[in-house]
Amino acid sequence: MPMPNDSLLARGVALPQIDLVTAQVVAGALENIALEMGHKLARMSYSSIIRESEDFGAALLDSMCRQLCECPISTPLQLGPIPGYMRGIVRAMEEVGDEFLPGDVIMHNHAYYGASHGPDIGIGVPIFIGDELIGFSFTTAHHLDLGALTPGSCGIVDAVDAYAEGLQFKAIKLYEGGRRNEQVWRILRQNIRSADMVVGDIEAQVAACRLGAERYIELVKQYGLETVLASSESLMRYSERMMRQAIAAIPDGVYAAEDHIDGFLDDPSPRRKDLTIAVTVTVAGDEMTIDLTGTSPQVDDRPINMPLIGTVDIALYVTLRSVLLDSALMEYVPQNDGLIRPISIVAPRGCLANPIYPAPVIARFCPGNIVASTLMKALAPVLPKRISAGVGNLKVAAYSGLIGENYWVYMDITEGSYGGRYGRDGMDAVDTLFANTRNNPIEDIESHYPLQVTRYELIEDKAGPGRWRGGLGSIRDIRFLSDGRGSLEGEGNKYAPWGFDGGLPGTPGAVTLLPADGGAPVELPSKFPSYKFAAGDVLRTVSPCGGGYGDPLERDVARVLSDVTDGYVSVAGAATHYGVVIRDGAVDEAATAALRAQRR
Amino acid sequence: MRLIGVDIGGTFTDLILADTGDGTVWTHKVPTTTADPSIGMVQGVVELCQQAGITPGDVDQLLHGTTIATNALLEHRGAEVGLITNKGYRDILHIGRHQRPLHYSIMQEIPWQDRPLVRRRHRLVVDGRIGPRGEELVPLDEAGVRAAVHELKAAGVASIAVCLLFSYINDAHEERVRAIIAEEYPEAFVTTSASIFPQFREFERFTTAAINAFVGPKVQVYVQNLVDRLHAAGLRAEPHLMRSNGGVATAEMSAARPVTLLLSGPAAGVLGGSLAGTLAGRERLITFDVGGTSADIGIVTARGFAEASARDTWIAGFPVMVPTIDIHTIGAGGGSVAYVDAGGAFRVGPRSAGSTPGPACYDKGGAEPTVTDANMVLGRLDPEFFLGGEMRLVPEHARRVVDELAARLAMPAPEAADAILTILNHNMANAIRSRTVQKGHDPRDFALVAFGGAGPLHAVDVARTLGIPEVIVPPFPGITSALGLLTTDLKYDRIRNQFMLNIAPDLARLNRDLAAIEADVRGQLLADGLAETQISVLRMADCRYVGQGYELRVTLPAGDIDDGAIAGVWRQFHDIHAAEYGHAFESNPIELVNLRVVGVGALPKLRATSAPAGGSIAAATLKVGSSFFRHDGALREMPTTFYRRELLPVGAEVAGPAIIFQKDSTTILPPGSIAQVDASGSLLVRV
Repeated sequence: MPMPNDSLLARGVALPQIDLVTAQVVAGALENIALEMGHKLARMSYSSIIRESEDFGAALLDSMCRQLCECPISTPLQLGPIPGYMRGIVRAMEEVGDEFLPGDVIMHNHAYYGASHGPDIGIGVPIFIGDELIGFSFTTAHHLDLGALTPGSCGIVDAVDAYAEGLQFKAIKLYEGGRRNEQVWRILRQNIRSADMVVGDIEAQVAACRLGAERYIELVKQYGLETVLASSESLMRYSERMMRQAIAAIPDGVYAAEDHIDGFLDDPSPRRKDLTIAVTVTVAGDEMTIDLTGTSPQVDDRPINMPLIGTVDIALYVTLRSVLLDSALMEYVPQNDGLIRPISIVAPRGCLANPIYPAPVIARFCPGNIVASTLMKALAPVLPKRISAGVGNLKVAAYSGLIGENYWVYMDITEGSYGGRYGRDGMDAVDTLFANTRNNPIEDIESHYPLQVTRYELIEDKAGPGRWRGGLGSIRDIRFLSDGRGSLEGEGNKYAPWGFDGGLPGTPGAVTLLPADGGAPVELPSKFPSYKFAAGDVLRTVSPCGGGYGDPLERDVARVLSDVTDGYVSVAGAATHYGVVIRDGAVDEAATAALRAQRR
Repeated sequence: MRLIGVDIGGTFTDLILADTGDGTVWTHKVPTTTADPSIGMVQGVVELCQQAGITPGDVDQLLHGTTIATNALLEHRGAEVGLITNKGYRDILHIGRHQRPLHYSIMQEIPWQDRPLVRRRHRLVVDGRIGPRGEELVPLDEAGVRAAVHELKAAGVASIAVCLLFSYINDAHEERVRAIIAEEYPEAFVTTSASIFPQFREFERFTTAAINAFVGPKVQVYVQNLVDRLHAAGLRAEPHLMRSNGGVATAEMSAARPVTLLLSGPAAGVLGGSLAGTLAGRERLITFDVGGTSADIGIVTARGFAEASARDTWIAGFPVMVPTIDIHTIGAGGGSVAYVDAGGAFRVGPRSAGSTPGPACYDKGGAEPTVTDANMVLGRLDPEFFLGGEMRLVPEHARRVVDELAARLAMPAPEAADAILTILNHNMANAIRSRTVQKGHDPRDFALVAFGGAGPLHAVDVARTLGIPEVIVPPFPGITSALGLLTTDLKYDRIRNQFMLNIAPDLARLNRDLAAIEADVRGQLLADGLAETQISVLRMADCRYVGQGYELRVTLPAGDIDDGAIAGVWRQFHDIHAAEYGHAFESNPIELVNLRVVGVGALPKLRATSAPAGGSIAAATLKVGSSFFRHDGALREMPTTFYRRELLPVGAEVAGPAIIFQKDSTTILPPGSIAQVDASGSLLVRV
């Protein structure tokens, strides 16, 4: 029976020459299919992490597991890894001599076989025309719980190995040849907390994949397989050409930068904290090598290691295309295999960015964001008008509790902020770099869980000063209304986002417990495992604020006044950082000129 | 009855007067007076009445589609707005859903941060909090509210949005703030979030309210001027304004809720297309309204036009949560620019040359090839007859810019022109496919109603791409929106959260609540001056499986809902879920989330247009020219007959290749298509 290596593409079929017009027409049709898949998944699903936060992905792949298109709703960190998931599935199936059958639905989440991390379950459906395997329809989605050691699927920061992170699925057939494999579904139901939600979400993924397969078959019947494949190849070449042109425009050379992650700040072991992320970019003509040598060794028994395929590669690819092929500045370049052809990634085995099984990886998101930000830092001197100064990282928290014998589990993604940009301040309180989820409405959270969001605002006076200042982070307070548990994974409590070109660094974030009994606030580290919380306890998360860009003394005085009027910057901050003296809501021009002259 | 419809566009104001008795219509077009569009409009009304030999006082009804609110939002020229919100939540409007509009961009703009509807200095917080079950958790700090109102008044803020959490369940605090503003600052324009649309998701609801506050004062002034000018001109009928929901409202209601006017024009277009299809005896329609920069697509079935689901509507980058006809807009029109990008991809739109400089053949300085230029090069537009000869086209300019593109593509100019149309037509077809297939409709079961200046140019090719068998071109394609205005009713939407489970139904409460909402909406229609006999009420419910976040709409039967009736409602939900998503979770509990009541006040309307006078095919034949068409896979120059539409008699058949000119549009019949003039005045094209 067919495997990718038996497919038409692998057999080296000669594809017809394709004209630009047909290529464009097929591209539009492919994007439409992916959009429809995502739309169905979001609307059918149960958990807020999918339907509100859009932490899912949908794409079509050809028979060689190359991405053809992607769904524009959803998040890059779910979309980007999809080809890697599918290749991991193929590898896993080849190892055991399994094969694809029409009607198969395959579940996969193994981080050492291409998956991004365990909670992001991939569901793949092989697409056949007759006996010919022509491609795959694929979705990924973050699930609330996978039966790990503590409730929820984030903040499992005390997992000592991959087994402690929850159920591992390596190419498991939920349906085999069209027949539902009930035993697998029972295993899911028996081992997962909040199983109704999780299983409902998996069902939605299955439905979306089947829809994508159906639509792809219709497309192939309309245009012919060879025309669709040739159009796809032409699209990949287009994306590749765009990426190569952008790389070629960068002067050849070696560009390096370093940054740090908190790791486990409360841990006595120095091997678990203050870890280095090192990025060296070599540009040679229209190709680029990104080398992570110099990054700290893996942490054997804490899950902040990052799978090279599924996290590190995606952090780098997404950031690179956001800088080089910025879709606000140019046409949208289709996301497909062509984009990554000119790029090679090097990461020594056994470092944080290329861990060895069974090192745990479930909390790989925040370190990944620093990999992304450090790439931007390396490129900043040669692409000063395309990058932002240092970016504030996120935090992800799991809240849970028991009602009778049943768990409720809620997952909350907070936001970071961007650094200043050439000609623009940083974006305030947004998801950053290789992720782009949405927050969950307060009115949704409070309606469904014994939680209350008691504050959700911008933080004042903390953004990195600069000619274009950093973005403001948020402050978010969530109160437990009944006894429960909470766990959290975040980054940026110690290392502030970097400033650029004379801009000052931003500020670190914080995590604080405001106890129900009115006791003194307790500062918590940026990662903690499942802790018990009492009814009335408030967990406060404060985002890091982005770094500044350019000399703050050169910031337009009117913008400083406007920031003060809006409460983004204090009167004292205006004087200290910007050399702008504000009295009674107006700029004291003379005092400002004097102060700025003295500072320079 | 004599009805006037006025649709104000960016360049022209289209007017139509219809006598519902014999279906006679008169049309008129005047330049839009941008500074105050009511000036041009009233002048047009007076002239149109003269043309029809009546006085403005003889007009029974005036219906109006306006872009005043839309433009204020698109151009970000609205009022300085103040916000009063709960303490602790000052920045909901600024943080939004914390999602960046673009996945792959560092330099992007975030509309709600870069162009705030309410600047932070005017976002004030007060103590007070309602909880998720409508319970009061913290009482409203009335002194704090008064202080906030004074502060906003002192700052010169003219419009205040009141946006409090959970007001969609309990609006007591919002209404109390409104009352305090009325005491302290009675001249302020006040918007409360629950009064606009009481639905969960605070960012979207607050933003909708803030948009209302932002455009409100401008719309209020406009509506007042309009009413005054119309009265001064002798019009006795009160004007009604078209809203995004496909109904009209009184001037007063429209001015209070201007956010409901944002899709006024496109909604009228869907109605106009629907009228043309209905008069031709067709029930399932895709309306296809194509102008210079964009194409608006709507779907009409036996159940009427489709309504967009909440959260699907974005205007100027902001979410808008009010009932809206499901209209999908894409950047594809006559002015769409064709170019080859840096990576060698051939693109058409969404960038448009607009009306200035416009396509190169307009001779107003346009230097890039557009869709109109491509049509020109292919011999499908005639320099003499474009827009009835009102605008002279210069074919040499079109040829020059298309030649340049063709050289880059290394193909002959006609091939390049044809490629431009192919890409544009497929972009449009894709948009239509996504709107139909995603909703479970097969486009092949529909007719495509093509209008707007450019719709009939592309409709047959688009229909062929989708397997749509028939294209309908209304009698006046360019003023179909104005015509649509003459088919509308007063329509008010009411929505109320219910949160009732099918496993624990409370029918007494359900019936009580339905009765109360019905009474409220009937009261409004009676207050508008309608008689009981003109009023009808539709009742619906939004349902979902417990735990889902998106609802599907089911209809509720009339009268008291008993056990049998509610069982039918749950059955209907499973069926709709299966139809929409291909799967029903029959054993899962269902939650009835919202009750919806639509009050419809029937207005006199145009039900038929008089048959075109026509002439004969011979009289209608202008000439036999030559145009390029793709036929049997190759692009060829073919003898093509050009017709004058108004002289084609009812029943006449015209076979492609042919081109039919009229004052406000051009219809293209490629080889193999056949058009027949229907008694309703529309062209019915078998593609």
